[in-house]
Amino acid sequence: MEYDENGVSIVPSGFKREIFEEARKDFRYEEYVRGCLNCGVCTGGCPPHRFFDFSPRIVLQNMKSKDPELIWTMMDEYIWACFQCFTCAMICPFLNSPGGIIAVLREIAVRRGFESAKKVLKPYSRVLLKLTAYGNQLSPDMIQPDFFPDWGPHIGYAATDLAAKRKAIPMPTLQVTNLSWDVAPEAMKELYDIFDEAGVFKIIEAVDPSLYEIIQDIVDDVRSS
Amino acid sequence: MAIEISNRLGLANVKSDYIHSAGRKLEDIHEQLLELEAKGEVKVIHIKDENKPIEANTLFGWKKKIPTNKIWHHKSCGQCGNIPGYPVSLLWFMNQMGLEYVDERNQTSCTAWNYHGSGTSNPVGLAAVAVRNWHRAYELGLFPLFHCATTFGDYKEMRNMLVEYKELRDEVRRIMHKIGRELVIPEYIVHYSEWVHVMRFEIAKLKKYDLSNIIATVHPACHTYKMIPEDCIYDKDIYAGKRTAVSTGIALALGAQVADYSTWYDCCGFGFRHILTEREASRSFVMDRKIRPMVREAHSDVCITQDTGCTTTLDKNQWIGKAMGYTEQVPVMADVMFAALACGADVFKIVQLQWHTTDWRPLCEKIGIEWKKSEEEYNAYLEELKAGGKTINLYEYPK
Repeated sequence: MEYDENGVSIVPSGFKREIFEEARKDFRYEEYVRGCLNCGVCTGGCPPHRFFDFSPRIVLQNMKSKDPELIWTMMDEYIWACFQCFTCAMICPFLNSPGGIIAVLREIAVRRGFESAKKVLKPYSRVLLKLTAYGNQLSPDMIQPDFFPDWGPHIGYAATDLAAKRKAIPMPTLQVTNLSWDVAPEAMKELYDIFDEAGVFKIIEAVDPSLYEIIQDIVDDVRSS
Repeated sequence: MAIEISNRLGLANVKSDYIHSAGRKLEDIHEQLLELEAKGEVKVIHIKDENKPIEANTLFGWKKKIPTNKIWHHKSCGQCGNIPGYPVSLLWFMNQMGLEYVDERNQTSCTAWNYHGSGTSNPVGLAAVAVRNWHRAYELGLFPLFHCATTFGDYKEMRNMLVEYKELRDEVRRIMHKIGRELVIPEYIVHYSEWVHVMRFEIAKLKKYDLSNIIATVHPACHTYKMIPEDCIYDKDIYAGKRTAVSTGIALALGAQVADYSTWYDCCGFGFRHILTEREASRSFVMDRKIRPMVREAHSDVCITQDTGCTTTLDKNQWIGKAMGYTEQVPVMADVMFAALACGADVFKIVQLQWHTTDWRPLCEKIGIEWKKSEEEYNAYLEELKAGGKTINLYEYPK
């Protein structure tokens, strides 16, 4: 990697073009990026636009420009500001989906293991672990006061006598503490096969190799059970 | 200073015979799905008479059948993990009505929260997970009912992609064969809030409390009505057909006042990734864009939701508002939980409000619910369970 006088990495223009071509070849591209009148209704309704330097109109205009340099400027933190609420897609008069094309760009960022994606997703690893290893995205025992101090003192309710409180929920599937519901091992094994075949495990390996190793240990245990 | 508005009912109960549907020229995916079935390309999970369907209108006036019986519950990660009264209230209603359903372990997450938060999946992975779960309902002869709005949005999107792209169908079919399943697609993708909506008048027959003095504000979930918006229920008697009718419909049917507020269309601030890793954004959004307008403009007694992430985000992030001097608070619960309260379900054992952070007791007292008695009984029940007692379940696994 080359660096400029400020220590910022110099990314070859050919690589930026490769990223743009990868996005453009995606089968969803034509559906998400259509004509754009630059009306800005998407940005006017965009929730994160109120709190971040982020505009779905800019996303669309950059994609429409077909300029790899402009598209590359969004691959760092910009695309990660989106809430994925799809307000933009619903209100766009031309049926564009800025939220949709952002999902495509995020997929590229994680598939290629960009440093920016690794940094953004580092605090997200607990959810990734829970989902890919067990088939649920969160569990009651993840709601701990030390992780959610800003949720107030009552959040400690889930931290005491959790097993009994879960047992008191009148649905047998929910009477566990380490999963949202008690996922059957055969369902987990099918999920692993899907992740293998669809390349999901490979994506996780690219974005967080250490986490990938932990997940694979659990997967091996469940598969051999 | 609170804004006084003369008509706090806003648009909620305004009726109209005129439905504006000009502009978009979309093909009805349902028709294309049936064509693929006729060609032998896919199998379709049909809604049958035994599902006791009720028809509703969607955004463009298309008809959508909502099954009310013989249901396979597709649970939500966040609801089951964090808001257990959400699915319990739904099952409680189905028991009250003598309806048949299965709730079992052989279900995985839809994985879509993770996808929208981290990008660590792709259309093949998402569609294969969807078809895997759909097929499980199919082999049991049941129709799947999706509890989470993100599941609902994701599965609508996956259904559309599977219908429109042969390459995706072929790839998902290959993966399904590998795990011993088939490519099946439900005739309609149905969210639990749609079940509640079409059953609202039956639910209202079970009402135990007068709600006429309760002011509700509705927060509609983005992934319910903004993702594949043409497949969401609209009703000319609710918001004059200009906004999605689900959740507002049940609150009105129960006799509550539904008040409008200026940020109705805004999201909750969940952001998928943000709720965990950029929480200052989520909590600012909650207070500035949702809770304060609900309280200051509409004097809301309760915020009614229809999704997992919204309920969590709006409930959990009010306490921290005090650090900014914000005093506005409003209890948050899903439409089905509010309905269960109104119909006399136990506050602790069924609606499970004890897991919620923002104080819901003033709402119960305004309705006339004796929550203290319920709490005492629940605490005694917990002690019994700790001593090895047996849980009284709403449902047992099929033998």
